[in-house]
Amino acid sequence: MDFFAAQDRARRKTWQLVVLFAIAVIGLILATNLLVAIVVAFSTTAGVAGGVGQTVHDQSAETWWFITFAVLVCIAGASLYKYFALRSGGRAVVEMLGGRQIDPGTQVLAERRLLNVVEEMAIASGIRVPAVYRIDESGINAFAAGFGTDDAVVCVTSATLEYLNREELQGVIGHEFSHLLNGDSRLNLRLIALLNGILFIGIVGRLLLRGGANSGGRRDSNAMPLIVLGVGLLVIGYAGTFCGNLIKAAVSRQREFLADAASVQFTRNPGGIANALKKIGGSASGSHLSNTRANEASHMFFGQAVTLFMNSLMATHPPLPVRIRAIEPRWDGKFIAGAPVADTEDLPPGVAGFARPSSSATHDAVVDAVGNPTAASLTHAQATIAGLPPRCVDASHDAWSARALLYTLLLPDDRASRAVLTDVLEPQVVAHLPEIERVIGTLDDMQRLTLVSMSVPALMTMSRPQYDRFVADVVALIRADRRIDLFEWVMHRLLLKSLKSHFEGPTSIATRVQHRNLDALRDQVAQTLSAIARAGSNDVQTQLRAFAAGVAAIELDLQFVADDDPNFTRLNDALRELRALHPLAKPRLIKGCAACALTDGPTSSVRALLIGIAATLDCPLPPDLAL
Amino acid sequence: MGFGTLTFLGIIVVLVVWVIAIYNKLVTLKNRYVNAFSQIEVQLKRRYDLIPNLIETAKGYLAHERGTLEAVIAARNQAVAGLSAAAKDPGDARTMAQLGSAEGVLGNALGRLNVVMEAYPDLKANQNMMQLSEELTSTENRVSFARQSYNDQVTEYNTYKQTFPPVLLAAPFGHGPNASLLEFEDHAAIQEAPKVKF
Repeated sequence: MDFFAAQDRARRKTWQLVVLFAIAVIGLILATNLLVAIVVAFSTTAGVAGGVGQTVHDQSAETWWFITFAVLVCIAGASLYKYFALRSGGRAVVEMLGGRQIDPGTQVLAERRLLNVVEEMAIASGIRVPAVYRIDESGINAFAAGFGTDDAVVCVTSATLEYLNREELQGVIGHEFSHLLNGDSRLNLRLIALLNGILFIGIVGRLLLRGGANSGGRRDSNAMPLIVLGVGLLVIGYAGTFCGNLIKAAVSRQREFLADAASVQFTRNPGGIANALKKIGGSASGSHLSNTRANEASHMFFGQAVTLFMNSLMATHPPLPVRIRAIEPRWDGKFIAGAPVADTEDLPPGVAGFARPSSSATHDAVVDAVGNPTAASLTHAQATIAGLPPRCVDASHDAWSARALLYTLLLPDDRASRAVLTDVLEPQVVAHLPEIERVIGTLDDMQRLTLVSMSVPALMTMSRPQYDRFVADVVALIRADRRIDLFEWVMHRLLLKSLKSHFEGPTSIATRVQHRNLDALRDQVAQTLSAIARAGSNDVQTQLRAFAAGVAAIELDLQFVADDDPNFTRLNDALRELRALHPLAKPRLIKGCAACALTDGPTSSVRALLIGIAATLDCPLPPDLAL
Repeated sequence: MGFGTLTFLGIIVVLVVWVIAIYNKLVTLKNRYVNAFSQIEVQLKRRYDLIPNLIETAKGYLAHERGTLEAVIAARNQAVAGLSAAAKDPGDARTMAQLGSAEGVLGNALGRLNVVMEAYPDLKANQNMMQLSEELTSTENRVSFARQSYNDQVTEYNTYKQTFPPVLLAAPFGHGPNASLLEFEDHAAIQEAPKVKF
């Protein structure tokens, strides 16, 4: 599947969504107007004499506008409220459903297994490791939520942890990652906000009904119309729910097949996801959720979370057998009755030898790999994690020592500036630096970046004041030697971008497409390619050759920028503009960057830079193909 | 359908949205501090698991210091009980205070053990002992970090609950009493817990 095309499709789906929404809103306005006319007809004797048709006819234009306005305010208010409530990204959805973050250092075997699976997949697809949440439900289900990969969270039910084995978990998580990478999850969040507006009228109806019923004892002459109005709004509310579910079904169902297929491609194991689906079929609670608020988010889940009236029309997911047959055409139709999975230690999967990135990668292969991890990426990620010192891995799973780990990665080599710096940090952390330093010394840049990514979930358990302190310390360390080196820049990009999304709200939410193609952005492209070429070598001739290769791949007339960019300010500015490129214009840019980086066998710092640039452009690059 | 009804409708809409928002925020903040407590729990459990090993190692050298060792074990068991009570309902004032004081007693007992150990250079030089003390110190630091995080979240929750509109709704929504901070009695003693040289 093509990542860029998928992004584009998700964007266009947003328009489809808006049109459907507009139709639903117009329908609701008409229905409410009609309803009010009926209520008026019943509450005035004149109306009863003349019939409803007469009152509708008599209703003044002013009243029509009034009602229309009121309905619009209602819908807009409710939608906007939800929109703002969800601004904190994936985290908001999980918290709405009562999810608890699984402790990143957990020793509970089932939880450890899940976290390992998520970790491997995140590293394999080149996104930072998302925080994993659990909700206590007896149905087998899972979802991923987020505006982008920066604020992404993954959530599973406790039954999923209990009943699915490692391969099945991989299948489910692969499916969810596909939603994240294809921009589906962003669309899903918008959908929740819009639908809230439509559903809201029903809620108001319910309230009026209750109010009317309460005052009914006094035989208030006003109560009757209030009750009728309440019932009417309730009916309209149900009509709204109906429209909402149709919209959800229209947007959601087809994507589930795509995500299933992507999961198979990712794990190269159709059995994993197929068996997970069969276990859902064989379990008493299926994939059903008891949380009443699950309805709002039903289109985000792995399996059908809510059973609806007229299910075949409004289901958010295709029927289980159809999904299973799409993966396993010869399926015999038997579901698997779930039994809890034995508590076995989650051993790292057998990795034959240490997978090395394929040296024959071409720039076209790199472009194809963006957001499109394969089974090879997964094996590579597993090997990378297995190759890390166990103490470092443990350290990255705990908020306290993860900080020490990251500080160690950033500390400069010379003793004088070290001494100054360690004064700034908290003494308890400093006491632990030497120990971590001993193990970390031998790691290469790619391993370091893997550790950075793995630390993120643990750091998310910090409180806001702790986060502020941490950021201040990291920035102080980066600036300490008055020069930002390449690794520091990449780390800043990968780490702070996602932590900021978590603590201060997603950054990707504000990114709009501002440029349809690269022609207007020549300077920015030249800056980016030059930065890669300069990182590759100190020799001007070599730099020029790498730059020329990039230019040839990108097919633009560009001027090499030879002067140094010590604080990466020019590169940062350039990338800010380039980030707002249309998804279909990005592959050309990535191709140019890759071609530039691949000339003369990339060094590890060039690879790290390429990964940092790709991450900034929201084009996650699987590390195995990056290079 | 006059202005009156419409205004009425408008006010209801605004109120409903507002109340929902407050309710959701309360739930979210509570979940966050409960989550933060589970971090403390993890670290404290690790600490309690280390102590029996420490005692086992020390036993051989400290034959004449039975009382000190037994005091540590007793304090540890008390703290384990305190933790499991507190984990059932994080933020509850009584269990939090209990856990805090149990931790204080344990810290004191460990501090005394530390003083006693000064007189036994062999024990201090024992490889196993050194490693255990180091791990104990590191868990100590983790506990205090997790505790800070928990206390921050609790403060945020309590502050929100006491601001104006939520203060009216918190109690009916089942968020009556303030959540309690976790304070360890006698901080000094804890700071003194096995010191390790690097």
